[in-house]
Amino acid sequence: MRFGVVLERLAQLIPVLFGVCLVVFLMVTLTPGDPVEIMLGNERSTPEQAEELRRQMGLHLPPHERFFAFIGNAVTGDFGRSFFHRRPVIEVIAERLPATLELTIVAMTIALGLAIPLGILAALKRGSWLDRVATMVSLAGVSMPGFWFGIMLIMLFAVHLGWMPVSGRVDYALEVPRLTGMILFDSLAHGRFDTFRDALHHILMPALTLGLAMSALLMRVTRASMIEVLQQDYILFAEAKGIGRARLILRHGLRNALIPTVTVAALETGYLLGGNTIVETVFGWPGLARVIVEGIFSRDYPLVQAGVLVIALIYVGVNFVADLLYTLINPRVKL
Amino acid sequence: MTKRRIPSLLASAALLAMLVAVSAPSSAADLRVGFTQDALTLDPANHRKRETETIIRNIYDGVMTQAANGEVLPELVESFRQIDPTTYEAVLRRNVKFHSGEPMTAEDIKFTFDRLTKDKAMGGETSPRQSLLGPLQDTIVVDAHTVRFKLKEPWPVFPRMLPVQEVVSKAWVTRVGDAALAGQANGTGPFRLVEWRRGDSIIMERFADYYGGTPAIPPAGPARVDRAIFKIIPENASRVAALLAGEVEIINEVPIHMIGQIERSGRARIAKANGTRTFFIALNVTKPPFNDVRVRRAANHAVDKKLLIDKLLGGAATSVAGVLSPESFGFKPGIREYRHDPEQARKLMAEAGLSGGVDVTIDTEGAFKDQAEAIAAMLTRVGIRAKVQVWEGAVLTPVWRAQNKTRDMYLSSWGSGALDPTGIFVPTLKTKDRGNSSGYSNAEVDRLLTLADGELDPAKRADMYHQAERIVAEEAPWLFLWVPQDIYAISNRVRGWEPGSDSRINLHRAHFVN
Amino acid sequence: MTVRALDNAGAESILAINLRRFGRDRFAAMAGAIAIGFVVMAAFAPWLAPHDPSDSDLLRRLQPPAWIEGGDWAFPLGCDSLGRDLLSRIVHGARVSLMVGVAVVLLAAAVGTAAGLAAGFLRGAVDAVISRVVDVLLGFPYLIFAIGLMGMMGPGIENIVLALVYKEWTIACRVIRGETLAARELDYVEAARAAGASPAHIMFREILPNILSPLLVVATTRMATIIILEASLSFLGLGVQPPMASWGSMVADGRSYMLEAWWISAFPGIAIFLLVLSINLASQGLRDAFDPRYRP
Repeated sequence: MRFGVVLERLAQLIPVLFGVCLVVFLMVTLTPGDPVEIMLGNERSTPEQAEELRRQMGLHLPPHERFFAFIGNAVTGDFGRSFFHRRPVIEVIAERLPATLELTIVAMTIALGLAIPLGILAALKRGSWLDRVATMVSLAGVSMPGFWFGIMLIMLFAVHLGWMPVSGRVDYALEVPRLTGMILFDSLAHGRFDTFRDALHHILMPALTLGLAMSALLMRVTRASMIEVLQQDYILFAEAKGIGRARLILRHGLRNALIPTVTVAALETGYLLGGNTIVETVFGWPGLARVIVEGIFSRDYPLVQAGVLVIALIYVGVNFVADLLYTLINPRVKL
Repeated sequence: MTKRRIPSLLASAALLAMLVAVSAPSSAADLRVGFTQDALTLDPANHRKRETETIIRNIYDGVMTQAANGEVLPELVESFRQIDPTTYEAVLRRNVKFHSGEPMTAEDIKFTFDRLTKDKAMGGETSPRQSLLGPLQDTIVVDAHTVRFKLKEPWPVFPRMLPVQEVVSKAWVTRVGDAALAGQANGTGPFRLVEWRRGDSIIMERFADYYGGTPAIPPAGPARVDRAIFKIIPENASRVAALLAGEVEIINEVPIHMIGQIERSGRARIAKANGTRTFFIALNVTKPPFNDVRVRRAANHAVDKKLLIDKLLGGAATSVAGVLSPESFGFKPGIREYRHDPEQARKLMAEAGLSGGVDVTIDTEGAFKDQAEAIAAMLTRVGIRAKVQVWEGAVLTPVWRAQNKTRDMYLSSWGSGALDPTGIFVPTLKTKDRGNSSGYSNAEVDRLLTLADGELDPAKRADMYHQAERIVAEEAPWLFLWVPQDIYAISNRVRGWEPGSDSRINLHRAHFVN
Repeated sequence: MTVRALDNAGAESILAINLRRFGRDRFAAMAGAIAIGFVVMAAFAPWLAPHDPSDSDLLRRLQPPAWIEGGDWAFPLGCDSLGRDLLSRIVHGARVSLMVGVAVVLLAAAVGTAAGLAAGFLRGAVDAVISRVVDVLLGFPYLIFAIGLMGMMGPGIENIVLALVYKEWTIACRVIRGETLAARELDYVEAARAAGASPAHIMFREILPNILSPLLVVATTRMATIIILEASLSFLGLGVQPPMASWGSMVADGRSYMLEAWWISAFPGIAIFLLVLSINLASQGLRDAFDPRYRP
């Protein structure tokens, strides 16, 4: 049964991916901007040289032919070569994914660790000072642009106190063992505790910047849905029957209250997995977003197409996990 | 509750203490550069990006190099001379080794230039740098240490284009394959590649067998620091923070308004070099109101460039009366600059029959919004009521490069790394050329530019450009602006590197003092 | 909906009672007053602002707020990089930011709620189609859409709203869908279904009122993000054009001056915070006042 659902979802992937390909291809083709002009930049060049570049990029073909060539190659796992990195785009993306993945894991851990307990507490003690402060802080968190908080952290902890490194993933002088590309994991697996410690040191500020921003909405949603659930008749009814409040909240309340939390957490995870331009820029984190954004600005079509496909796959994945979690939290919900 | 919280509090305190206690293992003889952009590739023939070249140039040397003052000097060659209008001969240094240990020969030079200029010579692809070498037709091996460059037609810029091409090893490229050059390196430069952590840093170490670089820029010899690291830090504030925190010793693209902060810190000094990029506002001369030269001159008189440079650009720019940077070949003073004179501007507007004013739009990219807005306010005061429209760069460029010009004004810039007028004059002002945004066309200018392209006598050539520039200044197809300086910050502990107008950061001679 | 403690009074006096109840919740009432204050500020901006928001004078460039050395009470919050009065720009910027923020939030919530309810309640093919469309849109970067839209339609505030709604509704949709999935299994829905209520009735009258809280919070909280996002689209030429001010673009402009002139981005940032805080609290206060079950 469950397995059937998974198969069904996998089958749905085909139209999704085709849709993404089509939309992104159309968008990229219809958007003004010419990668050849961008590459030639300010140098003198003859029309023939420009034409040769255009031919190399495959842009001399009419759009429909390019689209079918793209789809045809994509099916075989070939997403083409980046115009500017001049390598297979899949390599370019694969190199950046581990850094993004690692940052996402740490940031989401911080976000969930803060948001869920605080959200529940705020809901239970509604109207208390704790609730008010949590509300204010979390709203300040979403109103504050990421670069503000990031640069503040850098100025305080890196420049003035000198406790934290400004940017990067790990000190250049340390050896980084290769396994998954996630330095925290790889260094532990190889017993390189110095590298692990240094990588942890580096990831803290970017993860905190992202994690706090993510926790704001999560905490607000957890609080709101917890309050909502606590007002439901069945809870009031159960309470009237004299079931202990703590047990009640954990057994009945929390379960249903967590559904919107799961939804939002999944969306935020997807968002983080796509990479975050601001944090990657401010902390020099070599993640996915910057490379894709540069690709968009330089009209690196193959890179953009593959990048969007990867991000779409990520969303399909996290939303599927969210659906699975719904049924886990509340078995009456069917997949 | 509280009791249970204590251990976790202790644990987190311990974790924090552990983190804080970490001291950076980086060595004192390592020179670190906080740099805006990562290299796209390490293959010297397979990119068109200045930042990529800046990094690569520390690993790979070229036939020629450029001094900070712009002078072109022999690097991997002992001598370089022109033997007839279309032939240049280079005699190689004898003691040059690649990082792999193999000696450099004339075959390597030929291989390098064939790879750059011949169609499909790069593992089936054609080098995107092909057009940088213009009419270079063939590279001929005369003997093991002599090569000749044969051009299709006379091209006086050729020597100036050589510092931006780096020499690769024929044997090595054949061994590892062209594709491998994207991530591996084997040059003749002062540093060898240790590791490229893409997007994060490029780590290089001193190459002990380095031949020493050009003796024309002393001191020659191996690199003076153990390791050179380019750390990629795209955010301006973070790059400055990294410098202030002592994480890097050199940074590029210092934002103007942070100069004061760096100087006050006492840790580093600011170093400036004239850039290679001329800023201007292209005026569409194909339609009203800027088809009237009086309106174009009025616009030039309306703008207080000195105030803009002082305030918006922190003084870090050189006002230009025409097209060429003062560093450029062929630059001569004496072209009359339109002085800031709103009265004169209003008079010209009235002469043009526009005393009631006219509405125009300045197109620009988001990054130059401030400058465009400030200029728009000045133009508005003389009756050229300018609005600013922000665009994404890649959308805007084709709008202004199309032959059919429909818009009014375009705040833009054009740069030429070789600092030769041909790289900026021809594309932006020759009739219908690629970057001729204003739609300008003048038969005399076209004639002079074509002549200059093949003129081998430098004095005559410079004269031609000067004449052309005079005409352009007179006819004002642009609102002439400025050449901004490139601003760097260098730690007080570092000596031996000064920025040049080629925007390169060659760390070969850089070293620490105590 | 099951038992509801309805007052016995008539409709109008219920409104009056509820409003009075809202008024008694001091926190919420204050928030409501601030929110209304912002609307008034936006409406009367030209009369309230001390200066012309686009009047620039490079000699005042980066002038600090009045209480800091070098400041001047004529420009109480200081000046931006072109020497324009920050206070006046914040007052005027409220127009764009409020409009974009409210329009996007309302449109996205409306579309997202309808789609989310349909997907979560009807399930089957409807759910599959809606959910997969949501996946596709979520995975599609704003940037490409914005640049494409700019290329095709040119600048305009309505294009900004469009560019923001196109993705924003998916969030409301996911939240509502998740809640609906759980709600449709509850007894009151079973009861309504047994009583022969139409699906539309069950979705909008039975389920929706019971799951609204999280959406309310998500929508009002996301408003801050939307106001900030507007700036990145304007930077690409899609939205408001200089010299028009918006809070988002003011915050973004201040980014490069963070260390030298913090006030450029701090004050508009505070304005965004106050607006979002007041709307959040006021919307919850209103909800609490009007729905007796939520009274603490």
